Amino acid sequence: MDDVLLSVSDFVALTNQTLEYAYPVVQIEGEVAEYKVIQNKWVSFKLKDEGAIVSTFASLFQIRTPLQDGMKVVIVASPRLNNKGFFTLNLKSVRLVGEGSIKKGFELLKAKLEKEGLFAPERKRPLPQVPQHVAVIASTESAGYADFVKIINERWGGMTVDVAHTQVQGVPAPDQMIRAIRYFNGLEELPEVLVIIRGGGSAEDLSTFNDEPLVRAIAESRIPTLVGVGHEIDHTLADMVSDVRAATPTNAAQILVPDRQEIIRSARAQANSVGHLLTQAIETYSRQTKENLAAAFQRTQQKLDDTFERLGILRVAIAQLNPENVLKRGYALLRGEQKSGATLEIETAQHIITTEVQDVRTK
Amino acid sequence: MSEQNKSEQKSVQEKLTDLSELVGWFQGASFKLEDALDKFKQAESLAEAIEKDLTKLKNDIKVVKKRFDSEE
Repeated sequence: MDDVLLSVSDFVALTNQTLEYAYPVVQIEGEVAEYKVIQNKWVSFKLKDEGAIVSTFASLFQIRTPLQDGMKVVIVASPRLNNKGFFTLNLKSVRLVGEGSIKKGFELLKAKLEKEGLFAPERKRPLPQVPQHVAVIASTESAGYADFVKIINERWGGMTVDVAHTQVQGVPAPDQMIRAIRYFNGLEELPEVLVIIRGGGSAEDLSTFNDEPLVRAIAESRIPTLVGVGHEIDHTLADMVSDVRAATPTNAAQILVPDRQEIIRSARAQANSVGHLLTQAIETYSRQTKENLAAAFQRTQQKLDDTFERLGILRVAIAQLNPENVLKRGYALLRGEQKSGATLEIETAQHIITTEVQDVRTK
Repeated sequence: MSEQNKSEQKSVQEKLTDLSELVGWFQGASFKLEDALDKFKQAESLAEAIEKDLTKLKNDIKVVKKRFDSEE
C-alpha cells in the first residue's frame, strides 16, 4: 500500500472496510467510565481495564440495563474509525457481568420501575382457577421446561398448551421472549394465562430476566402472567412485575393447575359427607318421631289420669247421693198419701213396713 | 336429550359445581328427607364421574411453529 496515495477520507473508509472484514463484531469485557446520555437519544462511555481505554457509542434504546461508572460489562460492538479520527466501538448490546454490577443494575432498575408503580399489588390480576388454554414461553430443551410439563400432566388434563420455544439466556433471549409475548398477545383468541419459565442458573444467566424491555413487555401483557425463574431464592424483575410469581418452574405448574388427585379425594369426601348428612338426617327424623310419639303417649296418659281422677270424684259424689246409703244411716223412706186412713209403706235398711195413717197434723 | 346424557356432557368444573350444590342442598333449608336418597345417589355418581373424567383427561401440548429468533 506504500505506493498508493490515499485521501484522508479514503484512509478512514479503507480502515473501516478492513475493520469490518477482520472484526465485524467484537465482544469486549471492561469497566464503564465517563457514562453520558446525550440529548436523551445517545449514550457515550469509555470501556477500560488496567491497561487501555476505548470510546463506546450507542443509541439510548440499545441500553437495556442501567449503567453507571464503575460497572463491569461485556459489550458486543463493531469497531469504527470516525471522520474525526477517533476510534470508537459502535455498541450492539451490553450486559452486566460480575455479581456486584448485576446486583447494582438490578437495584437501579428495580427502583425505577417501582417508582412507575409496575410492582404495585393493585396491578396484579388473578389467574383462572382451572385454565383451558395456556401459553408457555420457555426453552423446550431445558430441564425446567421438562419439570413443568411433567407436573402439569401429573396434576391436570384437558388443557390446550401452546409453547413458544425461545432462548432463555444470553443476549438474544430477551428479544425472543418479547416477540413470543407479543405473538401470544396478538392472537385472536387469547390464552388465559401466559407462563414464562426457566430453571436455575448463575446470576448472569438469570439477569436476562432483568432486561428492561422484557420486564415492560411482561407488565404490558394483556394475558395474565405467571413467571417462574430460577430457584426459590432467586428474584428477578420479570417475576416481580408478573401477576403471579412462582419460585421455580415446578412451582409454576403447581400454581397453574389444581391437583386432580386432590380434587378426586375432595369429590369423594363430598359424596361421603352427603351420605353422612343423609344418615344424620334419618337419625334426627327417627329421634324426633320417637320423641313426638313419646310426647303424644305422655299427653294421652295424662288425659286418662285426669279423667280417671274426675271419675273417682264423681263416683264418691254419686255414692253419697245413693238412698241405700241414707237408709243405712238409720233413715227410712216413706211412700203413700199423707191422710188419715191411708196406707203407707215405710222402707228401712233392712225392712219394708206397711202401716196405716192415723192422724195428720200441720206443724 | 336424556338427563344422563346431559350430565355426561358437562365439564369437570360443572360437575364439581353440581356436587357442591348437592352438598349445599343437604345443609340448606330446602332439604327434604323424601328427596334425600335420590340426591345422595346423584352425589355418589357425580363423584365417580369426576374421578373418571379427571383420570382420563390429557393435555394437548404443542410447540408453536413460529420462530422467535428474528423479526418477521
